[in-house]
Amino acid sequence: MLKFIAKRAANYVVMLYVAISFTYFMASAFMTPRSNYESRTPRPPQASIERTLDLANINDHTSVFVRYWHWLTNIVTKWDWGLSPSLESVNKALAPRILASTELVTLSTVLSIVLGVALGIYTAQRQYHWQDRLFSTLATFFLVIPSAVLALMIVLIAITVNDAAGFRIFYVTGLSSYSGDNLLLRFGDFLQHIILPTISLTLLGMVSYHLTQRTYLLDEMHADYVRTARSKGLTRKQAIRRHALRASLIPTGVNVAFSIASVFTGAVITESIFAINGLGRYFITAINNNDINASVAIAAFGGACTLVGALLADIFSAWLDPRIKMS
Amino acid sequence: MTENNTVSNDSSTTAESGGEVKHLSYGTLIARRFFRQKSAVAGVVIFILLLLFALFGGKICKWSYDDPDFMSISEPPSAEHWLGTDPGGLDLFALISHGLGKSMLIGIITSVATMTIAALYGTAIAFFGGWIERVGMWILDMLLVIPSFLLVAMIVRAANAKAGWIWLIIGLTAFGWVGYARIIRTMALSLRERDYIKAARFMGVGSFKIILRHLVPNLASMIIINTVLGVVNAVASETALSYLGVGIKLPDTSLGLILQTGASTTQTAPWIVVFPSVALVLLTFSMQLIGDGLRDALDPNSAANGQVNA
Repeated sequence: MLKFIAKRAANYVVMLYVAISFTYFMASAFMTPRSNYESRTPRPPQASIERTLDLANINDHTSVFVRYWHWLTNIVTKWDWGLSPSLESVNKALAPRILASTELVTLSTVLSIVLGVALGIYTAQRQYHWQDRLFSTLATFFLVIPSAVLALMIVLIAITVNDAAGFRIFYVTGLSSYSGDNLLLRFGDFLQHIILPTISLTLLGMVSYHLTQRTYLLDEMHADYVRTARSKGLTRKQAIRRHALRASLIPTGVNVAFSIASVFTGAVITESIFAINGLGRYFITAINNNDINASVAIAAFGGACTLVGALLADIFSAWLDPRIKMS
Repeated sequence: MTENNTVSNDSSTTAESGGEVKHLSYGTLIARRFFRQKSAVAGVVIFILLLLFALFGGKICKWSYDDPDFMSISEPPSAEHWLGTDPGGLDLFALISHGLGKSMLIGIITSVATMTIAALYGTAIAFFGGWIERVGMWILDMLLVIPSFLLVAMIVRAANAKAGWIWLIIGLTAFGWVGYARIIRTMALSLRERDYIKAARFMGVGSFKIILRHLVPNLASMIIINTVLGVVNAVASETALSYLGVGIKLPDTSLGLILQTGASTTQTAPWIVVFPSVALVLLTFSMQLIGDGLRDALDPNSAANGQVNA
């Protein structure tokens, strides 16, 4: 088992290294931080532009391989992900944003897994009934609705509710606005802010769990061993709960492990609409500022999350399902 | 498939089996199974209406999408401006008509291009096997590591306003095919062991020819379904990128860009958000209905029962 995990982990580290390097070269090719300074009025003196670009290690007059080597050694030796064009440290900017993103997505991820899986189990047992039809249609609707549209509609509804109530129930921007010391009020304030983005992320996230769990359970319900269990005298409910459900949760578990990555990068739109200073919003700022180092750092973080998720999925499925050969 | 079609057409006209059993050609069977489903028909109708709106909406409206009316800024829907105007005085009906066309164009071209690359790459690595397959799979996994959304945003942001939509298609295609290639490879794995593939190989047919003549056509139903459903994804990505300001840029327009304009005025002018949202949801929902309908029509295990000339 340990050998299997170590082998997979080593492969993933190599993969991550190649992917991040690829992103670095792509970002260097497509982004022109020089234009940030040259378009300013009054235009700064040429020597000053060159000096700033050199300090941030993003001067396009230096060979990209020299810059790459410099960037790589700084990460490996000092864990320093470089500077933005305005010479601010990427490391310092990244940390609070990772925290904000985590605050935003944790609750909605848990909710979408629990609700989605529960709904999948419920509808699978009522295949061809109106409940299944209703929820499947709803799921199709939430599957195809672009996240920007859904979030904006939720904002519209919340504004209408606020107007009707006459005072602010829901806040549509930010994560907090209370600055006092009362813990209870602070928590209430946090809830008022987080509820709308959470609803939006949960609705979008639970659809895939609902549909996949439904399919997995339907597959297992018609398997031979469930029929055997029925013929030995178990009721349909018992057979499903003790046998089919257990087996159908394995692929869902793998999906959950994989979802760790999308958690951080999937909230870009939601963060923009609800004005939450998370990773996704930071990425858009970085792209618009021609911030090569920050964009690569965010992509690297996203990649690392994907691979941790993949590794967890490997371990989880190997642990649960003895049929998977560990080689 | 076309060959099969004509052959069974002939046999159904001669109708040698006599009387009650009516033979259907493959195409007729699929069409019948498809149009039997109410939801699929609804999807086709909605899609055609949207297509007509995108094609001729600009003609029947007296305003152009890039011709602002400075006398009416952020006006609600009226007889003059059927769907109202945005803060720049642009007519929303014309904007949505043009934006919908752009979104459809980007969605369809991206999806077709994506699936073509995925089908060729996926079947090729499955067909050759051995070290080619291992390297090919490693490259696929590697490309899946970095969130593709970020890479596409990087490329498209660098493009200028006029060619923006072409770069959007290039970006979405360049990083969108990876997941599909993995699925197609898995399906092609079982095909490559079939006798007719082996026979073709031993007869000395070239690898490329086998892939194009035998592997890809046998995955056709799956590829067609995914192409239709891929439009949904492509439109959603386009909307997201344009909304964030890194996709389609002014003076060109797309539904995502109109949404971005409307997002800042949800309180004062909600119609700017509502109408493009409705258009977007109708577009993605109709494609999903068509895709699901095709899946049921093409899937031999589906509950729909038609009689085929076996």
